[in-house]
Amino acid sequence: MARLKTLAGYAWAALAVPVVLATFLGQEPLSRALARATGWTISPRYSGGELARTVDHGGYRTHLRRAVFDGLLGERRRGFVQVEWEPVAALPAVVEEDVEVPGRGRFRISLDTRTGKAELRDASPEVLGLSVVTPFKGGWMVRVELKKPS
Amino acid sequence: MTAGAPPRSLGRSFLLSLPMLALTAFLLSGGRLPADLPHRAALALTYAAFNACFFLMLRTGKTDRWRAALYISYALLFILSFVSHLVEVRGTMLLSDETAYSGGTPFCHIVIPMTLIPAALTKTIIFPGTMTGTYAAIAAMFVIWIGASLALGRGWCSWGCFFGGLDDGFSRVLGRPVLKGPPGHWVDLPFAILLLVVIWSAASLSPAYCEWLCPFKAVTEFVPVRDWRTLAQAASFLSLFVAFVIVLPLLMKRRAQCALLCPFGAFQSAANWVDPFAVRVDANACVKCRLCVQRCPTFSLTDESLAQGRALRTCLKCGKCVDACPKGAVHFHVKGTGPEAGRETARLLFIYPAFLFLATMAGGTCMDAIAKLIRLVSTGRLF
Repeated sequence: MARLKTLAGYAWAALAVPVVLATFLGQEPLSRALARATGWTISPRYSGGELARTVDHGGYRTHLRRAVFDGLLGERRRGFVQVEWEPVAALPAVVEEDVEVPGRGRFRISLDTRTGKAELRDASPEVLGLSVVTPFKGGWMVRVELKKPS
Repeated sequence: MTAGAPPRSLGRSFLLSLPMLALTAFLLSGGRLPADLPHRAALALTYAAFNACFFLMLRTGKTDRWRAALYISYALLFILSFVSHLVEVRGTMLLSDETAYSGGTPFCHIVIPMTLIPAALTKTIIFPGTMTGTYAAIAAMFVIWIGASLALGRGWCSWGCFFGGLDDGFSRVLGRPVLKGPPGHWVDLPFAILLLVVIWSAASLSPAYCEWLCPFKAVTEFVPVRDWRTLAQAASFLSLFVAFVIVLPLLMKRRAQCALLCPFGAFQSAANWVDPFAVRVDANACVKCRLCVQRCPTFSLTDESLAQGRALRTCLKCGKCVDACPKGAVHFHVKGTGPEAGRETARLLFIYPAFLFLATMAGGTCMDAIAKLIRLVSTGRLF
């Protein structure tokens, strides 16, 4: 038994070099395999959530993402919806958008694409305010905070 | 080679260096020579420095002395390489909303323990990065972490971590410690911090340590100060950096950040269960001089652990205690093997994968930073 343990120990130790080599030489395929196998994605709190719909305004497009209320086990009381406009070159000086988040609220948003100043109007009671306004992937993005309807 | 043994011969040391010379040649160059002169010079310098240190490890029988030289240089060059990369790509080391929400934040291993519960329950990673295909992508860091854990356990913290060299460096500046180590239970602090940030991150679905406690934000990237919250975050990063990475290591001659703060280090201690190597103490050879206890940078050797003949689970496998022991009683060990097993064989079996890990992990970063320094000197521009 002691001899077997010794052999196993040395074999395990000798495998450490191949493990290190595989870690670095196989990093790209192993990374892709890990991402695929786990199905992990970036949390919607950072990615903004899945795309719900796109509105084509001719020169530019508005992307509306799903409302994100995701918590660890269920939904949180507060969440947000992310609205994006692109491409930046085709955006008018001020974009205006009526946004309806099914079952979560509605609002009208205007964004000055030269200064990044945004304003909410005609908001339903579930809409709490703007939390993020930033240039984003060749366009602009805003996050509007929402609360669950009471 | 035990303490007091003559150095290994030049020829034998060279022969034992040959596999590392070949492997690092391939891994550092990627199989081709860089096109421009600064990168060629950086490759040559990095290759020469790493292999000289490995040769000296073999020749002198000392591990930590040569590891530390590379590891500390790696940490300094990492900051130069990382920050200059950020400035080159973004124009600043500040983390803007645009970068964060576009998934452009580089992922670091310290976040890993905070992501696991949310990943298990929601199948999402609570970090504003990208899963694959970009600089410091999340899945790539997970792969490196898994490889390091299997091969080295918490040896990651002495042979792979790009931050640890900073407090390691500061802990070597003074000749004698001004402060004796903290009272016993302070060494449990990183485990408490680990528990706190794991629960906090799971509850908030955001990486709490990165947002509030990481001292290395002070020298890498951080959110610009624009309100009281971001001011408090910046103050936290800066004060923790000064306290745990500079002042305490200087005064205690220990790696205070790694031993008393880092939640990833605490988490990685569990990986010492799965790798094949450990540090052991031969009770028959030990003369109870306590040099190893005094030198251990993370308080992983105590009188109790010496009596048990082993380092604690928090051991980083840096080799400082092995180098320090005047009687060769402290040694690297291959798990499963008996007391009669060859100590130098165990050390060689450990330093090959450990050094290869360090060379590969650090090599690219060092080359990038050195190439930028060469460019800075020759053209006045970093990039």
